Amino acid sequence: MKRRSFLKKAGIATAGAFAVPYILPSGRLFAATGSRIADHVVLCLFAGGVRNLESIQKIEGNLMPNILLGSESINPQIAPGMSGIPAPFSTKLQTQGTLFKEFRYAAGATGHFNAHSSVLTGRYNLVDVNLKQRPAYPTIFEYYRKHNSPSMSALNAWWISNSLGPYPALNFSNYPGYGAAFGANYIQPRSIISESGYEVLGNPKNFSSNDIEKINKLRTFCDNNFANSFTPGDAGVTNSFEDAQLLDQFIKDSYTDALSGQYDNPWNSPSGMSGDMFNVFSAEKVIERFKPELLVVNMQDVDIAHTNFTSYCDNMRKADYSVAHLWQTIQSTPGMSNNTIMIVVPEHGRNQEPNTVLDAYGRYALDHNNDAMSREIFCLVVGPSGKVVQNQVISAVEGQTVDVIPSIAKILGFYTDIPGGMLEGMPLVQAFA
Amino acid sequence: MKKSFHYKPILFSSLILFGLFVQSCKKETDYVYGVTDVDLNQSDADKPNVKSTNEFISIAYSDIFGTTIPHDKLVKLQTAYTAFGDQKFIEQLVIRNFLNQPGNALPSQGEMTADLDKFIEEAYIKFFARKPNEYEAYYLKNLLTNDPSITPELVYYAMMTSNEYRYY
Repeated sequence: MKRRSFLKKAGIATAGAFAVPYILPSGRLFAATGSRIADHVVLCLFAGGVRNLESIQKIEGNLMPNILLGSESINPQIAPGMSGIPAPFSTKLQTQGTLFKEFRYAAGATGHFNAHSSVLTGRYNLVDVNLKQRPAYPTIFEYYRKHNSPSMSALNAWWISNSLGPYPALNFSNYPGYGAAFGANYIQPRSIISESGYEVLGNPKNFSSNDIEKINKLRTFCDNNFANSFTPGDAGVTNSFEDAQLLDQFIKDSYTDALSGQYDNPWNSPSGMSGDMFNVFSAEKVIERFKPELLVVNMQDVDIAHTNFTSYCDNMRKADYSVAHLWQTIQSTPGMSNNTIMIVVPEHGRNQEPNTVLDAYGRYALDHNNDAMSREIFCLVVGPSGKVVQNQVISAVEGQTVDVIPSIAKILGFYTDIPGGMLEGMPLVQAFA
Repeated sequence: MKKSFHYKPILFSSLILFGLFVQSCKKETDYVYGVTDVDLNQSDADKPNVKSTNEFISIAYSDIFGTTIPHDKLVKLQTAYTAFGDQKFIEQLVIRNFLNQPGNALPSQGEMTADLDKFIEEAYIKFFARKPNEYEAYYLKNLLTNDPSITPELVYYAMMTSNEYRYY
């Protein structure tokens, strides 16, 4: 009997030992898919409307020498309009991953916000866009924070945009069951870490921990007596008290760095830091501080193409350098180095036919009005060897905008946990080793 | 019969004239129209609207400085406010900056402790546009009496960063 009892207890204990690691404190099981390709994803929206002709087809020369192989010189007609930027990095990003040369923004209006929204939700928007409304379907941030297991705080999900307008609305959707509770931390650095931002936010009253305790007690009392319809999310994404303190310190440190001159052309660019460069630099600061699992950053300076073709090409060079600098920072950040996959994709292209605005170098400007060429874009997936197929170029028409979100979900291991019918695309499996 | 018949209209007319005379001599009544005092304080359960960015910043500034916010400051604050996704976080940062500026119109510790009932009622009306209910007034008075380290600044900051302050 003793032996039987021993075996029974040992069996239960063994089963328990196997089961317990799969049960989290929250009571949730590990996601069914579980296995991740990498623990961090950085999505860089090479946005503003980039035409394949000038980017990967290099008809004006290699304007993206940090991303693309090739030493084609810049068209002499526009070369005098190119500003000084730092020398390219030695490693070309396309050799560290898979380049989809004929990616497509297949449907929906070729408007910046509409296309940003399609990238971030994994769905094309075929109805009129309301710039005052949040996306109708969940964003990648919400899928990540809701379906990743264990669930992560907003410090792990960031949306860093280079402009305001409607873009703050892209950190979460109105979709029932998702929303602000699963949204990303949003920041538009140029409005916060700036002279005017410092003027109004840079000198806060600092309370002692004792004071904070009393404030929390008083505030909790007030909140408990407010019986109205307050719902979490009315104030956007919410960070926990502890996370808010980390954010507070981050902003404080950013102001200190800016005051000491560390934001004055930190990349030593001969022509100074463009808006895109500054936005990517700010994203790097977030990466270095928080090592987020999911970060989305955009650039849009190439949109000057509406009025100045040569500056469009020049800004493409700056965007190219910014992406490479971002990758360098990732590789020098412990925890993210060799454990991050970066996806680079424009939101849409530009028209085949130019408009009537001529620049100083005799080139006509370009709009984007839903023609076939304005749907032709590229996509680059870079990552460590063994996780991402290296030095692969896919020249056939493969992959589209709505495949980006499924790919991120696959990389972070929660793709199959997203309810069926929510996503229109499929993971870009061609890119993964 | 005929004679008496002719006197009747004269008598009737005299009575009317007499009546008018009496009426005209009567002192006029002075009607004084006034407004009955009505309690316009909102109930906490009757605040369905979230303040807009502009409303929040403008009201917070007025509540702390007792004056309207300069336009250029409002624009800068509105931009910074919009540029961060956690509005509660940024609101707290905005108010902490207000509290650290000279010229704020906060009551002193002495003014607060001199009449706690008045301080609490005025704070509720200022920030929540209502009077505290009996429980709130009792609880806060008790808390402030028993903990003299709680300053008006802490009370103001806690109330201005509470959920109710975001609504009207």
